Amino acid sequence: MFNKILIANRGEIAIRIIRACRELGIQTVAVYSEADEDSMHVHLADEAVFLGDAAPKESYLNADKLIRAALDSKADAIHPGYGFLSENASFAAAVESAHLTFIGPSADSIRAMGDKAESKIAMKKAGVPTVPGLEGLESDDDFKKAAKEIGYPVLVKAAAGGGGKGMRVVSEEKELTEAIESARSEALNSFGDERLLIEKYLANAHHIEFQVFGDKHGNLVHLFERECSVQRRHQKIIEETPSPLLTPEIREQMGQAAVAAAKAVNYYNAGTVEFIFDPILSSFFFLEMNTRLQVEHPITELVAGIDLVQWQIRIAAGEKFPFAQNHFHQHGHAIECRVYAEDPANGFLPSTGRLLQFIEPRGPGIRVDSGFTVGSQVTHFYDPLLAKLIVHAENREVALQRMKTALQEFVVHGVVTNIDFMQAVLRHEDFANSRVSTRWVESALESGILLLENPQQAVGFHHLIAAALADVVFVSGKAQSAVSNETDPFNPWRKTDNYRV
Amino acid sequence: MKTTFDTQTIEINPSGDNYAVTLDGKTVSVQVLRADAKRGRMDLLIDGQRVSAHVSSDLAKRWVTVDGRTSMLTKTSGAKQGVRHDYAGGLIAPMPGQVRSVSVGVGDVVKKGQTLLTMEAMKMEIRIQALKDGVVKAMYVSQGQTVEREQILIEMEA
Repeated sequence: MFNKILIANRGEIAIRIIRACRELGIQTVAVYSEADEDSMHVHLADEAVFLGDAAPKESYLNADKLIRAALDSKADAIHPGYGFLSENASFAAAVESAHLTFIGPSADSIRAMGDKAESKIAMKKAGVPTVPGLEGLESDDDFKKAAKEIGYPVLVKAAAGGGGKGMRVVSEEKELTEAIESARSEALNSFGDERLLIEKYLANAHHIEFQVFGDKHGNLVHLFERECSVQRRHQKIIEETPSPLLTPEIREQMGQAAVAAAKAVNYYNAGTVEFIFDPILSSFFFLEMNTRLQVEHPITELVAGIDLVQWQIRIAAGEKFPFAQNHFHQHGHAIECRVYAEDPANGFLPSTGRLLQFIEPRGPGIRVDSGFTVGSQVTHFYDPLLAKLIVHAENREVALQRMKTALQEFVVHGVVTNIDFMQAVLRHEDFANSRVSTRWVESALESGILLLENPQQAVGFHHLIAAALADVVFVSGKAQSAVSNETDPFNPWRKTDNYRV
Repeated sequence: MKTTFDTQTIEINPSGDNYAVTLDGKTVSVQVLRADAKRGRMDLLIDGQRVSAHVSSDLAKRWVTVDGRTSMLTKTSGAKQGVRHDYAGGLIAPMPGQVRSVSVGVGDVVKKGQTLLTMEAMKMEIRIQALKDGVVKAMYVSQGQTVEREQILIEMEA
């Protein structure tokens, strides 16, 4: 087993990994940028190494600095978390070349799954269903011919792609040439690689993914699915497991396909095989494989009853995974809501600032993975994830109610969040009836079946009264509570006089 | 006393142990059951209904959560009402972030839809584009600069 692990990440996932290490009796090294000097993950780790400027390429994306920090602090392994360098095959290879262990799959597995065109070809060979389409086309005429064969609407997307970049939906032939051109230039700009592939576009598809987990001795299982169809800008907001759409038979088929996909690239450690699921035909197609721990891994941990991060570490150290497929069963239902610092009424654009209030909900079956507290600064440098709110209950109905209650109790002041928006989604009958496809948020907002309240305008009567009274009660010390009579020089309520009429 | 938040004015007057609160010509009686300035918590009895609120203050801004719904209010003096953060001909930042690239300079003739600069925040890149054909009158930001939401970036000839 390892003595010391360097965690090449920040925020909630760095904290999640530090906790797993502690439970395993392993020392931890945190890394941080200038913007994160006072972050929770820095305080929690046994040691912390300063990387450099806030910009990711000077800090969390700087492979040389990270490997140097691991060697200097005498760590014997690096956990990459998710995002940043977690799916960078060269980084994984460089870590191993430095005689450190990369806690994740092999560089070869990452490389094989990193290219959408290559991986699709490998999946077809392994007998995993893929979306009808073609790879390796170049001329417009070839694309036209392929599109006609597949049938419109089609999707052209970057072979090296990710995150929705270099991707265009084309509904008829006359749009095709322009879509190819713009997808190509976006792909070239974003990934330095202009290769495109073309496939059938599935309009009302759901995103259902399977967790897989394997050791370095050839054992590999799946840990069931996660339904992740509630998305905005191709990014997940709410995930749940089990998916209400899957019958035991389809779950079994998809699980087997996920295992076959992972085995085709000699996969070990934690990974996720993403499928597009057509609820009308109950058919599924391989989309891509994420060769790392996912943001939404906690719902799998709760329902499958396994600590994925601890096992990632144990597997990386060479241990055998002792459980066979039939060891695992789904217990109850889990939902995750991603609390983002973003303003749904402003097109989900980021919101930054200092957290004035950060009250996490508590109670039975509630788990919060977060990296922030009151006073934390939310900067524009990194992703907008403030916290993951995860609930677990005996069934979907109880879990949904638990999540609604927990979201109501989550208080964040200082940055605009999507907490109210997620409550609106969960209240909607389409969510209750599992009719939320990956395009649902966008179309629900367009058609008006989901209404957004601007936090600056849709102010309730009670909100106004509370705000106005706070200025009177908190400042005058007329409050009946014992603490409010103290003279507190940091009390923000005493600095507001110049705004009073 | 009167307080204005954004465009709504609310009046509060002590009335015995309670407060008389007037908004939109309607007056209700409000009793403060508990108030904790440090934690920003208040329990109120508004017209007989119990309301629990979290309130935070940041200069002129007030963040209020009641019943799991959060609002952000801005305290304004009555005179400031109706003044907008942007103005005709100006292009403002739709989000806080960093200016990633600037592709035009003062005096440049630009076409509607042309990208004038790009901004980045939280791994998201957005393009600031010309709203109509015109000439760049002033550039207020440069590459690498950090900007606030609604900060003026570029001014166009009217």
